Amino acid sequence: MDGSVRLDEVVMRFGDFTAIERTSLEIGSGEFFSFLGPSGCGKTTLLNIISGFLAPSEGQVFIGNEPMARRAVNRRPTAMIFQNLALFPLMTVFENIEFGLEVRGVEKRKRRDTSERLLALVALEGSGPKKVTELSGGQKQRVAIARALAVEPRVLLLDEPLSALDLKLRQRMRAELKAIQRKTGITFIYITHDQGEALTMSDRVAVMSAGRIQQVADPMTLYRAPATGFVAAFVGENNRFETTVVDREGERVRLDAGTLGELAGRAGEGVSLSNGKSVALFVRPEHLRPVTPDSPGPQLDTEIEAVHFEGAWVMLETRLLASGETLRVQLGHEISRHYADALSVGQRMGFGYDPQDAVVLPDDGSPVVDEATGEVREADRQARSHV
Amino acid sequence: MSSQRLLALGLRFYVVVFFGYLFLPLLVMAAATFNDSRFPTVTPWDGTTLRWFGELAADGGMWQALANSAVVAAGVLCLAVPIGIATALFLNTVSSRAKPFLYALILSPLLTPGVIIGISTLIFWRELGVTGGRFLTVLGQSTFIAAYVMLMVTARLQRFDRTMERAALDLGASQWQMFRRILLPYLKPAIYSAAVIAFLQSFENYNTSLFVVGHDTTLTVYIASKVRTGLTPAVNALGLILILVTVALAIVYEVKRRREAARTRSSI
Amino acid sequence: MFRQLKARFGGPLAMAILTLLGIWLILMVTLPQLQMIDYSFRPNLLPAQRGGPEDGWTLANYVTLFNNEIHRAIFFKTLWSSVLVTLLTLAVSYPLAWYLAKVATPRQAALCLLLLIIPFWINEILRTYSWFIILAFRGPLNEVLMMLGLIERPIRFLSGDGGVMIGMVYAYILFMVFPVYNAIESLDDNQVRAARDLGAGTIRTHRRIVIPHAKPGIATGCIMTFMLAAGSYAVPALLGSPGSRWFTQIIYNWFFEGGNWNQGAAYAFLLLVLCIGFMSLVMKFFKVGLGDIAR
Repeated sequence: MDGSVRLDEVVMRFGDFTAIERTSLEIGSGEFFSFLGPSGCGKTTLLNIISGFLAPSEGQVFIGNEPMARRAVNRRPTAMIFQNLALFPLMTVFENIEFGLEVRGVEKRKRRDTSERLLALVALEGSGPKKVTELSGGQKQRVAIARALAVEPRVLLLDEPLSALDLKLRQRMRAELKAIQRKTGITFIYITHDQGEALTMSDRVAVMSAGRIQQVADPMTLYRAPATGFVAAFVGENNRFETTVVDREGERVRLDAGTLGELAGRAGEGVSLSNGKSVALFVRPEHLRPVTPDSPGPQLDTEIEAVHFEGAWVMLETRLLASGETLRVQLGHEISRHYADALSVGQRMGFGYDPQDAVVLPDDGSPVVDEATGEVREADRQARSHV
Repeated sequence: MSSQRLLALGLRFYVVVFFGYLFLPLLVMAAATFNDSRFPTVTPWDGTTLRWFGELAADGGMWQALANSAVVAAGVLCLAVPIGIATALFLNTVSSRAKPFLYALILSPLLTPGVIIGISTLIFWRELGVTGGRFLTVLGQSTFIAAYVMLMVTARLQRFDRTMERAALDLGASQWQMFRRILLPYLKPAIYSAAVIAFLQSFENYNTSLFVVGHDTTLTVYIASKVRTGLTPAVNALGLILILVTVALAIVYEVKRRREAARTRSSI
Repeated sequence: MFRQLKARFGGPLAMAILTLLGIWLILMVTLPQLQMIDYSFRPNLLPAQRGGPEDGWTLANYVTLFNNEIHRAIFFKTLWSSVLVTLLTLAVSYPLAWYLAKVATPRQAALCLLLLIIPFWINEILRTYSWFIILAFRGPLNEVLMMLGLIERPIRFLSGDGGVMIGMVYAYILFMVFPVYNAIESLDDNQVRAARDLGAGTIRTHRRIVIPHAKPGIATGCIMTFMLAAGSYAVPALLGSPGSRWFTQIIYNWFFEGGNWNQGAAYAFLLLVLCIGFMSLVMKFFKVGLGDIAR
């Protein structure tokens, strides 16, 4: 059973608006693959193209190397788990799970065997005769999974299925989804705007922005070696500095950060850096550590504006003395205990980092941070996006 | 006492009088059924009797009219309910520049006097060689009853979550299977209500039927003709029975509707 | 349109939907009306003469009405009386709708609505017939009035337009109560309270706050009531006398007694124009659209 998915030069336009820029991508059979991006980035559109709800304006979709162009939604080897689950409220759990088999004309006894087996898989034995309206949120979630698996899809498409659950349940369901995926060996394509979900479950993640795939990589690579400024800002937290290149020695780049003086970082993969070019330097909060004025390497002098104690770590909000910009610093338990006396609002403190941990990328300036929520999004696309 | 309170008291008094006004005539008519007087009245009271029920039962014309009404109502159910459902589905699905015009056309039978619907139906079908009778009565009544059905089905259809449709297709259902198994069961309560209303509307219709019944007199037309010729309290007996049946239906319908409304509220 | 239907329901079902809609809108709604209008502009001919030299479009049927003083008078009386019935019904319904929507407790309102719905479900003929009994020359109303000493001898209620109008208000009142109630109910209580707080009296509160908000409901009620009154046949037939004929009765006579359907069609078309005219006037006056009415 080949559950590989291939997008070949796919483009999606709605009138004048291009929802998906030309995209090619291969997803391996049995892979847990996520599309991660802010709302309006085109990820749901892409999912609808794979499932067959939308026909691409250009390009082709292949599943298991078969072209899908002439196959309607109900003839594709895919099954979808909807954001609101879309369980049929007038039917029992059994009837919901067996619906896909019923419409294929599978006889009743065989249908029941399948649904019993799937209920066992999702740990809901004995709930078959219940009405779906009697179930809790987590149970509904599992029925939705069982219903989708019942039709033996080669590819399971999940459209932010956990977003309606509360935090605890969401975290438990992540583990369950991953376990089910491993057990069944089905290709999972998962859509989310929650990087935690994408990073913990996926084999590979495609980060999307403005209808374009920014980077496809395994979670660790995404975090350590973001390919674009958007990925650096969207995945995990990052402090961003606008700088120009002074010179480059192998991976190591020396940068002029204006009033902040000279900084340094590691060149992003495949990034061309001629001297004098405007680039962005990204330093993650957890890579910053307190330094004394005489220590070597880049140094950032700040005044502490807020201290958030989070248990295992402390998050500092500081203001850079030279530029007035904000710098976020995360200190581990050990270090924060060592500096306990100095960590209070109004204190001045210098921070440094290992240039090996700071990545230098072209200054594309694409992400916008929402002032109110702190979320990264694309301001002008949200309103215009369809579907 | 302040003028505000006086006003509030006046309003309460008005409401009581209003309901008296609403029910007293019906009670008077019901009471007259049991008066042993040749003419339907309550004054003077000539003694209590049940004989008018017996006379009603012996009235062959009444039974024939009842049978006609039942046939017509059944015909209206078969015609107006499918048309109403189809129109609701059409309006819910289609977006087009012609839609406002079509919508006005669809609503027009509700805003046209019943006599005009009857007249136009009569004239149109005479040109095709069809004269008044049960068939034309079904057509004439369905013309506006279909619009009522449409309104009731549309009200429920607008609350339908179309993700259900997508889910059914995604699970491999054909569009017909989706309609049969998902959309139609969802619409069922509204369709039943619409059928009850359509049946009653048909049974009670007078203005349209008057022109198209031909010789197939329906019960309402029969009652009206009885009032003007050969009036006896047997008409009251018939009226009383109709009222009791209607009230029973109305209460059952209302209770069911409210229960349904409460259920949909609680499941949201 | 077919494309959108087919995308959602598949070919066969889309065909069925369009077929049913077509049968209704073309065969039942549009063509009969057009045929009626066509009839009204043709002379009344024997079947053998049709299509012959005398057949052709003419205004003769409309001229007949114009020249017939009695018919003309009845037409305008029907118009005027229907307007009166509409206003009367509105006046009677408004306080009740207000009470149901904003004064009554939820339980009281639920009970009242149920009580309202019951007579609403009862046939127009029977509701009118009950007034026929009450208003009869030797009926209970005259008896009660005489017992109370208010009148010396019974009044002939059923010989003028008075009885007809009483019967119409009774028969159509619920078509006014429900839309007005629905409209007032959606008014935010705080608006009324705010108006009171600002010192507005009862009348001013209603005139400035409640009635403007209830406009769509009032318009709907007025349009329905007028249409039902002007198009009523049952009420004048049962409660009227030969001296108080309604326009619908004349139409009926052209069809089934005069045997001149073309003439009848012309009168019917005028009635339709009257109703459409009234509706447009009300919609313009209250500044509401068709969408507000069918809710």
